[in-house]
Amino acid sequence: MNQRLKIAAFVILAYGAVPLALGGNPYVIGLIVASLTIGGIAVAWALLGNLGGMVSFGHAAFFGVGAYVSALLTLRAGWPVFPAMIAAGIGAAVASVATMPALRLRGPYFALAILAYAEIFRILATELKSVTGGAAGLLSIPRLPVVLGVDFGTKLGGYFVILTIVVMAMVVYHLIRRSPHGLALKAMHESEDATRVVGVNSTLLKAWMLAVSAFITGMVGAFNAHYINFLDPDYAFAGLWTTLAIVSAIFGGYRTVTGPLVGAVVVYLVDQLLFKAILPQGHQIVLGVLLGAMILFSPGGLMALVQMLVRRKESSHAA
Amino acid sequence: MLLELKGISVAFGGLVAVSDVTFSMAEGEVLGLVGPNGAGKTTLFNAISGLARPSQGRARLLGRDLIAMPIHVRARAGIGRAFQVPQPLHELTVRENLMVAQRFGTGRMDRQRIDEILDLLKLGHKAESDAATSLALTEQKALEVAKALATDPKLLMLDEVLAGLETAGKRAFMLTLDEVRKRFGLALLIIEHDIETITRLCPRVVVLNFGRLIAEGSPEQVFNDPEVIRSYTGGEAA
Repeated sequence: MNQRLKIAAFVILAYGAVPLALGGNPYVIGLIVASLTIGGIAVAWALLGNLGGMVSFGHAAFFGVGAYVSALLTLRAGWPVFPAMIAAGIGAAVASVATMPALRLRGPYFALAILAYAEIFRILATELKSVTGGAAGLLSIPRLPVVLGVDFGTKLGGYFVILTIVVMAMVVYHLIRRSPHGLALKAMHESEDATRVVGVNSTLLKAWMLAVSAFITGMVGAFNAHYINFLDPDYAFAGLWTTLAIVSAIFGGYRTVTGPLVGAVVVYLVDQLLFKAILPQGHQIVLGVLLGAMILFSPGGLMALVQMLVRRKESSHAA
Repeated sequence: MLLELKGISVAFGGLVAVSDVTFSMAEGEVLGLVGPNGAGKTTLFNAISGLARPSQGRARLLGRDLIAMPIHVRARAGIGRAFQVPQPLHELTVRENLMVAQRFGTGRMDRQRIDEILDLLKLGHKAESDAATSLALTEQKALEVAKALATDPKLLMLDEVLAGLETAGKRAFMLTLDEVRKRFGLALLIIEHDIETITRLCPRVVVLNFGRLIAEGSPEQVFNDPEVIRSYTGGEAA
């Protein structure tokens, strides 16, 4: 199947078949929305990990900042929800500037430093009681609005909003990846000196990637705040937002554009619909085993495994 | 003057790798930089290209202060460099290597120019191949030069790009370098151990030993200089 057909099939499936088939089941749609929320963070994380070569344990910081910016703009300043969500993305990107000193670090040092930043943001949200409501959090955050007669405040409406955010994130990822900037970023992991001597400002490029990744994560955080209408620091800055995104991206294949989303949907839905039913307590253990197996047998993730199986099938047909 | 180095020293802690080196190069000139192993040649290249910070001295390219420039700005100022151990940009094809170099080194994209460079360096047939895994040593060396050329340099610094090639390959590569120089009107600063190569390519040679400049002149002059002979033999001049 060529690329355009694949995209058309995805659009028909995601915007047509899924809502038609499952729109009447709020529980399943709710699960899909949750998986797409994780998928959005996973795409943003993979963009930084694959192109920027940086493993971040601190994406919860951008998720939380985005959630708080949008919630506060709508609650306190009366902003409409969708512009506030865009501002939340910008807010998270601005917050990423504070983490930029960590860009001088490499490998695990960067990962740990950015984890510390996430904790700093959580403490700030807890202590700045007059602004954020402190540990008690923010209640009655405006729901997603009705636009042109479409109520985005329902579960199905929320599905379309988060789906669109994730699709746009994937488009951005794809466009960056094929640009000279994306090529330079890819090359930088193994050959940083070689890229610098041909004129690449590696620190600036990494900073841009961090800001773009934070922007997307902030938008997802903002969506989540308006979807569940509640926020507190422990929830908004929970490490789970980062770990689930990392697991999803690695499981699906973080070096592909579609892998993180596929990983999030598969990991979350299989866990919630299958493993949880079989093993109500400790069902995540099965997920851990599966992730370990994936890393061992297909380090490129699920998408690489699928591609390999398709190629094998095609070559056996040809023979 | 294209390149002016005045009193350049590079120290790593207590170790002085380059000490008080002064020389200059004119536009379009071909200059050889020779010396025994550990003489400080590559460190001097690093100081010019920005990978090492001089502890003392001044470096100027067409009158612009190089020392104050970050590495990536030096590429745009006109410094191109080929590494001794080829450093292809990983995960990219040969063409993509040149695209990145051109986009960031010059700020523009010119596909025709990239094709011209690929043809000149005999890499056209490998343009879409993975640069890090599919090239023979000669092709990797050619890619090093091609990448540097894509940045549109005024000064091309070649760090032992002929090392490891067999005689026929070396001769063919020398001809290519000569063609490159003529086609693009570049100055070449060449580190090379092979005296025949230096003699053929470079009308002027600078010799380093223990980080110090010990001789400068035509190949004939410097290779008959007693101090240069001593630096290579470690003993008395014949």
